[in-house]
Amino acid sequence: MRERLESLRIDALRRVGEATGVEDLRAVEKDFLGKEGAVAEILGLIPTLAPMERREAGQGANQLKTTLLEAIAAAKAALEEAEVAAQRDAGGFDPTLQAAAAKRGGLHPITQVRRDVESIFTSMGYEILDGPEVELDYYNFQALNIPVDHPSREMQDTFYCDEDHTLVMRTQTSPVQIRAMERMTPPFRVIVPGRVFRNEEQDATHEHTFHQIEGLVVGEGIQVGHLTWTLKRFLNELFGRELEVRLRPGYFPFVEPGFELDVRCPFCETGCRVCSGSTWVEFCGCGLVHPNVLAAGFGEREDVDHEKLTGFAFGFGLDRLVMLRFGIDDIRNLMGGDLRFLEQFPC
Amino acid sequence: MLISTQWLARHVDLEGISPEELASELTLKTAEVEGLERFAEHLDQVVVGHVESRIAHPDADKLAICTVNVGKEEPLQIVCGAPNVDAGQNVAVAQVGTVLPGNFKIKKAKIRGVESRGMICSVRELELGEDHDGIWVLPEGLSAGESVSSALGLVDWVIEIDNKSLTHRPDLWGHRGIAAEVAAIFGRELKPLETSLPATGSGAGVEVSIEDPACTRYMGLCVDNVRVEASPQWLQLLLLAVGQRPLDLLVDISNFVMLDLGQPNHLFDLAELSAGVKVRMAVDGEEITTLDEEVRGLSPQDLLICSGNTPVALAGVMGGGASKVAEGTTSLLLEVASFDATTIRRTATRVGLRTESSARFEKSLDPCLVPKAAAHLVRTLQSIQPEVSLPAPATDVGDWSDPALTVELSGDRVRELLGVDLDDEDIISKLSALGFCIERDGTMMKVAVPSHRATKDITRAEDLVEEVGRLYGYDQIPGKRLIAEVAPPAKDARQLLVRKIQDRLAGGACFSEALCYSFQPDELLERLGVADEPRVRVVNPVAEGESSVRRSVVPSLLGRIELNRRHRDEVRLFEVGKGYLPEHTDERGQPREVHEAGLVLAARRDKSAAYNAGSRSRLQGVIEDLLRALGAYDSAPLTWRVAGEDDSIPGWANPGRSQVLVCGEGEDQRALCFLADLDPGRARPLGLVEELSSDVAAAWISLDVILSLPKASSSYRPLPKFPGAKVDVALALPLDVSCAGAEFELQRSGKGLVASMELFDVYEGTNVASGQRSLAWHLVLEAKDRTLDEGDVQKFLGRVERAAERLGGALRRES
Ligand SMILES: [Zn+2]
Repeated sequence: MRERLESLRIDALRRVGEATGVEDLRAVEKDFLGKEGAVAEILGLIPTLAPMERREAGQGANQLKTTLLEAIAAAKAALEEAEVAAQRDAGGFDPTLQAAAAKRGGLHPITQVRRDVESIFTSMGYEILDGPEVELDYYNFQALNIPVDHPSREMQDTFYCDEDHTLVMRTQTSPVQIRAMERMTPPFRVIVPGRVFRNEEQDATHEHTFHQIEGLVVGEGIQVGHLTWTLKRFLNELFGRELEVRLRPGYFPFVEPGFELDVRCPFCETGCRVCSGSTWVEFCGCGLVHPNVLAAGFGEREDVDHEKLTGFAFGFGLDRLVMLRFGIDDIRNLMGGDLRFLEQFPC
Repeated sequence: MLISTQWLARHVDLEGISPEELASELTLKTAEVEGLERFAEHLDQVVVGHVESRIAHPDADKLAICTVNVGKEEPLQIVCGAPNVDAGQNVAVAQVGTVLPGNFKIKKAKIRGVESRGMICSVRELELGEDHDGIWVLPEGLSAGESVSSALGLVDWVIEIDNKSLTHRPDLWGHRGIAAEVAAIFGRELKPLETSLPATGSGAGVEVSIEDPACTRYMGLCVDNVRVEASPQWLQLLLLAVGQRPLDLLVDISNFVMLDLGQPNHLFDLAELSAGVKVRMAVDGEEITTLDEEVRGLSPQDLLICSGNTPVALAGVMGGGASKVAEGTTSLLLEVASFDATTIRRTATRVGLRTESSARFEKSLDPCLVPKAAAHLVRTLQSIQPEVSLPAPATDVGDWSDPALTVELSGDRVRELLGVDLDDEDIISKLSALGFCIERDGTMMKVAVPSHRATKDITRAEDLVEEVGRLYGYDQIPGKRLIAEVAPPAKDARQLLVRKIQDRLAGGACFSEALCYSFQPDELLERLGVADEPRVRVVNPVAEGESSVRRSVVPSLLGRIELNRRHRDEVRLFEVGKGYLPEHTDERGQPREVHEAGLVLAARRDKSAAYNAGSRSRLQGVIEDLLRALGAYDSAPLTWRVAGEDDSIPGWANPGRSQVLVCGEGEDQRALCFLADLDPGRARPLGLVEELSSDVAAAWISLDVILSLPKASSSYRPLPKFPGAKVDVALALPLDVSCAGAEFELQRSGKGLVASMELFDVYEGTNVASGQRSLAWHLVLEAKDRTLDEGDVQKFLGRVERAAERLGGALRRES
């Protein structure tokens, strides 16, 4: 019996050693340790043995069983390890080949910069307003101190929507100044982003449709210095560094006094293409709100004494900021709807 | 407008002020300077030459050989073809190596065998005038070899001022006005100007009758003994510096006075105005031939100057050809007038003739300037032709009044608005420097505004604050912190919605945001079959056929597919924008504004793709994901249905493949979203055939409807306590049973156990009866109170089977 157990052991361990897969090990386990396997067969023989041999055969069979189980477990672990190792180094690896290209989408660059502008002003407590693009002449002109015969209403600048000129494509975001005054209670601070229209020939720097950001602050005791301080803080934030600003005379019928605000060129120290060598870049038109505009906006309000109020207003073009930020050389790309352009600004 | 520093110096001493400083101070205190350039800088290179001798060229009749002293040891030998060159003259010599305007480089040359070392220049070659009949003969007494510019004192700088920044300043449309600003800025005196007419004879003046109030003042003055000749050098050079072509003395002097004082004027040949002057409106169909020899049709809004009843000038815009001063004119009628700004502007715009004259009149000129300009013109003319005389007093008629006015100003108002510590004395001195007269009255100042500042510009205290502020220097006003209540600014629900939509579509859905014009071309609208919809239209579009203001953003996006499909297999575009509906116009005349998100998805056509791989199906997925993210599904029940006649299916949509997402019930039912395949008939007009053949779907989502939904309640549900059972169900159903209908039956069969349902297959063909299709779902069944077992699942499937049979179909068991 001892010899038989020993030959079984040698036979089984050989087969474990020869196994090349988990299935082989399972077969070994079945053949030797299964219900009808060799060990079971021996155990079945035990009652027929002499009492002295019974004990020896029992112990031997159990020992064989333990030995085999351990050997199979070890072999199985080794096989699994080898399989994992084989998976790790599959060969033929080319990282440049993984071309399951991610789809692209994105916000329009105007939207991106507009959001930057909005968040700066929002952080300074400004409310963001919106207004109609097809606007009444009253809001776009008359209430803004631009009476019917004012030269800045030339036909060639304004798109009129009817023959008697009561409806226009707004030429500026300023009409929302009046709309704000009609419903908001001073003091207030607002900005108005939006598209505006001028009947101009299109070229690389001119568009008939473009985007403006209007600002309006109304309260008591608003002064010129508040305007420069505000725009300086805004520009510093937008360009990420301290930039000087300066005011000079500018004419807009809805402000008095009216200014142009220049900012030190953010792109150079001594003059460049952007600032035409002057180191100053024209940034926006602005001024103190004209008393006629305050009267037009608040005139019907019984709860507001517009005579006590002052305010400042400003308006700047968003398109130019976008073009400066991204280095865009042709304004017509902005409204062109061409994916080859739009996909250059993922965000 | 161009300003010459030489010209300015006639009115104010510029000693010690550099042109750069002048330009910069004007920009900071008066108006924007757009450019600064030396006038005729090339004259620095051209030298004075003294012609020592002139002999005829041996081989050419018209050429002469000149010996010219240019201040060097050796005189130059120059061959010259001008008939007027002669020994003893001072001439302008461009030596070898000099570069003249037009990049014309002077070289050593042999002309008909004779060496020539330079060129004796004509006025035209130096770009100083038109004269090319001979060389430019310089005055005597110049030293040879000196540059022409320094010998003639011709160092002139031209300052270009942005016209737009002068819109409100009629007084700055001439050199004297700018000079007054310079005097105020630099604290200098404005030189006096003689503004009274010289003595006149006692003859009968011209008769003037004004028939229309658009002419507010008309001064007519007869001028005798004039001669038509070339202007003197100084006058020609000043005009050239500011870009005016000198013609003859009379034309030049008329221009000179306009550019000097800002007052346009006109000179007629008196002989042509024998019938007296009448100022009247044109009648319909009347015509005039203007100086530029164009025949202009007139309208009853155009003001005319007539001789008797014959038009001789388009008032304030341009003179007529017939009455112009010509060779042989000896007597003039000088017209200096004031016209209504709007009338002139409209006429100039209407006839497309914006002249130096109309540009000034449309700014509202000061009527008090009229006699001053007349005097200035006559006196300047007499300084050149002393024999000029005035046979009769001026005729000065019209219903005008002196616009001068008085404005009350308090020093506090100035300090309050500017935020600068100026005392009343400072304020008064600044205003005085600008020509205002101030009378103090306690703490108030009575500020007399002179007529030339009072026509449009200065009417109230704030206007004077501007005057003080700019002269003080706006750039000197310190910034001041704005102190305000600290509170979060109100947020607008629509803006937040727009932002969420943009982020979701550009982010997860990978759509690119486009911004399209608010104008949609008629031909695009026609190609899309939507040209008949009512639209707001601009009456003066940027181009013919581009007058329509969009009512929806979708056509604009559809119009971009072809361009993009040429470079991309797939086009995913969206825009959140506004549309205008003229059929809903409010009582003030404003059309209703709608806010929508438009989406288009175009991909290469693929018939073999899975049931839900088509563009419309994908777009539907994008929309549902978006609306889920916006919480719209939690706010109201939303259901897709087939779009019908009541949904006004747009022309671009395939009516058989149009669907509407509706919210609300019955009367209140509103379309939140419209989604459709592009109508197959539109593919060809859009260029989407052959290699660009595309599977296109488009949709709009109404932001207005989303905003009107009730505020969503939280959609949180506690997690199930007991594990659920996953079941796949496939039903074969008649084609007219909608997917939503089938899902409703599944829900009902689940008796509350169906926790989720996901369609994963749609199939028609083998093993499915004709007229039927197979729909298959992954379901999860869950119970709140127990773990579901196989028995529950079988009971559920039993109910599903009976439901399917009621619908005329069957439960498909796995075979
Ligand atoms: Zn620069």
